[in-house]
Amino acid sequence: MSRAAFRAWVIPLALLAAVLLVSLVVGRYPVGPGDVLRIIAAKLGGEAADVPETAATVVWQVRLPRVAAGLLVGAALAGSGAVFQGLFRNPLVSPDILGVSAGASVGAVTGIFLSLPVVAIQGLAFAGGLGAVAIVAAVGTAARGRDPVLVLVLAGVAIGALLGACVSLVKVLADPYDQLPAITFWLLGSLASTTRGDVLSIVPAIVLGLVPMVLLRWRMNLLTLDDEEARALGVETTRLRLVLIAAATLLTAAAVSISGIVGWIGLLVPHVARSLAGPDFARLLPVALMLGGGYLVAVDTLARCLAATEVPLGILTAAIGAPFFLWLLIAARQAWR
Amino acid sequence: MLTAVDLAFGYRGVRVGGGVNLAIAPGEVFCLLGPNGCGKTTLFRTLLGLLPPHAGRVELDGKPVAAFSRAEFARRIAYVPQAGAPTFPFSVADVVLMGRASRIATFAAPGPADHAAARAALATIGIAHLAERRFSEVSGGERQMTLIARALAQEPGLVVMDEPTASLDFGNQARVIAQVRALGARGIAVVLSTHDPGQAFACASRVALMRRGEIVSLGRPTATLKPEALRALYGVDVTVAWLEPAGRRVCIPTLE
Amino acid sequence: MLRRTFLTAIALALALGPASFAQTRTVVDSTGRSVEVPDAPQRVLAAGPPASVLLYALAPDKMIGWAREPTPAQKPFLAAPYRDLPTTGRLTGKGNTANIEMVLALKPDLILDVGSVDATYASLADRVQEQTGIPYVLVDGSFGRTPTTLREVGALLGVPETAEKQAVYAETAMSRLETRIAAIPESDRPRVYYGRGPDGLETGLAGSINMEVLDAVGATNVADAAGPGSLANVSVEQVLAWNPDIIIAADPAFRTAVARDPVWADVAAVREGRVYLAPDLPFGWFDTPPGINRVIGVDWLTSILYPGAAPVDLAASMRDFYRLFYHIELTDEQVATLLEGATAEP
Repeated sequence: MSRAAFRAWVIPLALLAAVLLVSLVVGRYPVGPGDVLRIIAAKLGGEAADVPETAATVVWQVRLPRVAAGLLVGAALAGSGAVFQGLFRNPLVSPDILGVSAGASVGAVTGIFLSLPVVAIQGLAFAGGLGAVAIVAAVGTAARGRDPVLVLVLAGVAIGALLGACVSLVKVLADPYDQLPAITFWLLGSLASTTRGDVLSIVPAIVLGLVPMVLLRWRMNLLTLDDEEARALGVETTRLRLVLIAAATLLTAAAVSISGIVGWIGLLVPHVARSLAGPDFARLLPVALMLGGGYLVAVDTLARCLAATEVPLGILTAAIGAPFFLWLLIAARQAWR
Repeated sequence: MLTAVDLAFGYRGVRVGGGVNLAIAPGEVFCLLGPNGCGKTTLFRTLLGLLPPHAGRVELDGKPVAAFSRAEFARRIAYVPQAGAPTFPFSVADVVLMGRASRIATFAAPGPADHAAARAALATIGIAHLAERRFSEVSGGERQMTLIARALAQEPGLVVMDEPTASLDFGNQARVIAQVRALGARGIAVVLSTHDPGQAFACASRVALMRRGEIVSLGRPTATLKPEALRALYGVDVTVAWLEPAGRRVCIPTLE
Repeated sequence: MLRRTFLTAIALALALGPASFAQTRTVVDSTGRSVEVPDAPQRVLAAGPPASVLLYALAPDKMIGWAREPTPAQKPFLAAPYRDLPTTGRLTGKGNTANIEMVLALKPDLILDVGSVDATYASLADRVQEQTGIPYVLVDGSFGRTPTTLREVGALLGVPETAEKQAVYAETAMSRLETRIAAIPESDRPRVYYGRGPDGLETGLAGSINMEVLDAVGATNVADAAGPGSLANVSVEQVLAWNPDIIIAADPAFRTAVARDPVWADVAAVREGRVYLAPDLPFGWFDTPPGINRVIGVDWLTSILYPGAAPVDLAASMRDFYRLFYHIELTDEQVATLLEGATAEP
């Protein structure tokens, strides 16, 4: 096995496996590592494990869905981050550049404001994320004859600001004792209440979003070139860009619909993945997915184990991500270039 | 093969030039000269179908350019832009491989034949040793060579080069012009723009002078690149002379 | 000490009474601020929702508006015509939404605020008072001193009789509770989890204003184990580890979900069917807003936490409370609506 392949596959896979194992074993409800493995083995085998019922519930119904959600959400954010950084030819871009997060926030916050059930809040967040990007893309298509990438970024900034204002408006109108805390917690991100249903509900969107990314794994490289250069090489940039934006948006919107706003993963993980796998998207994508999933599972494990109360994910990802990013800027120039 | 008929060109809402009639023949090296801002790059972008014509038409093999898909067009005509700084650290081999895009299905990745074509292009240009270096870290001249190799990997009938020698040092300018001649010798037509009329003597079979968006003169280099014409074009006195040791004409500003 | 000063000031002012030429008197509020207030305020502005509730209970005629507009669900539980008063917005606290010019246009002669009494709120009160020239009295709203708060503000507003009746109601409920729990040692008191938010995973930590009622009724908040704080999110796993005897849900969706979701099935509270919904009309019985609306929560919690031999007549107590504090007669239908999911199934 070549050294490059080792870096691109073995390191992320080993990290991921270690993180998954640890996160299934630790938690606030005491279940021994042996019991955890017995419970999983028994459930997979379809028989009853010889452990307390509550321990089985904790491992199978609480931890496993949560770890799976961390994996999916982290992978989705990192994958769409890698796509957006390529599309916008800018390594400082994060998946919410086109307003996905802002749109999802408006949806979720509205749902909380209207005291809707959790499923409806998630649905509104998902729809809000897609809607925001659809508006941005429509503006980008309408403004012909300018640099399409620049138009998209500027439209994203403007729509994002507008939606941010909507969120603030709802916060002002919300019941300060009842709804405002729930809104604040949602905006900080958490996987605390993830159920198996939540995980299953986002799987179709994530798969649907990943398909074009995998199919266009090599074409994606060409979209990181100057738009005219790519077209001169024979690439239908406009169409491909829209397809990839839709795919990445689908991933991000699905992810934040169950996790709330979790920043930094989509920005940071693609950098680290690039330093391991190089810029070729065909190699970068799987590494980014693995690292993103592993990173969020690790952070979420901290979030639920550090204290009896949950530490919001957004706080942890920023507190870990920002210093790491700065270190990367100073120490590892190659990864950042 | 590539023809412009009564072509007017420009950006959306801004006309840059017009009245252009050109016909590029297979295997010829066609050089476009003109002062800064006269519209050379805009004309090239219009010829490449990247900008729609304001009037007139551009045809490839007798069909309007708009009738070709980007991939069909790219299999016939390659473009060597001025080498910019790339965002991501692709290797030189990766960049050359991108030249195969028009010959690879949308959902596919490059196969053995594509890798072989890329390697051959690198070898032809003489930069095989750079293959694994990062494109962002090689010198400006090596970058230009990489982009020419990429155009070669595209297997086109015509290569359009926008000021391929701009911001290169003396030696690299000579290497690039040598490659242009080599392309022509291989039967690949080249359309290039340059700021050095002497380069036209070195490689071009035909030359056009462009001023304020219009072609003021077109023909063989010896017939077109007269001191008076160049003076009118650039506003300085120019000496054109036969240089025996080089075996060709050279062109330098007189400088009173 | 503060309270004595306050009462002395009021006693002094009252002694001077109408015979005095002065139309104002000086009171010292809970933060120690000396405020010159009108003898008999007629137009009072509530600075926030807890103050709205208190003002509505004590002297609805003097109210000039609601800090938050009553919702269509709240209105049937509020008396006409007060329920249709305009909305004035929040003056201080988490995001002030009141427009100072509009406040002035309403011409209040007193601003009443009830809630936390720390330096921040004292200085905010000073700023508003300075800017508007309207006396601003800030009263400690902690649940334990509810009878005192009622009497103080009753005196301030010139409605001591109403205040006395309400204070006695609150004291009676508390003493009923104390009799009931006197025999129950601390270690046998129920361990309660209070779940807020749509997913029920937001809860109040030790000492949080949201849990004051629970502390007052002598139950143990399982989240006390997480240390002091205000609102926080917890994981399902953590709640399972706490294994509460009783779950109180703020959101009906959470109560339904808990009953159905297999994840929660093993929790003691769910196994024994002790998951209750906190009524919230017209104002929360448990925590929102943190005002005197929580007084009815005492009898309610007594009946669900300590189901003893002599059951509390909750319906009767509710009718008294709603008559006395909210100025309405509860219909049988309204009693049923309020208690839906809030008590043990009959």
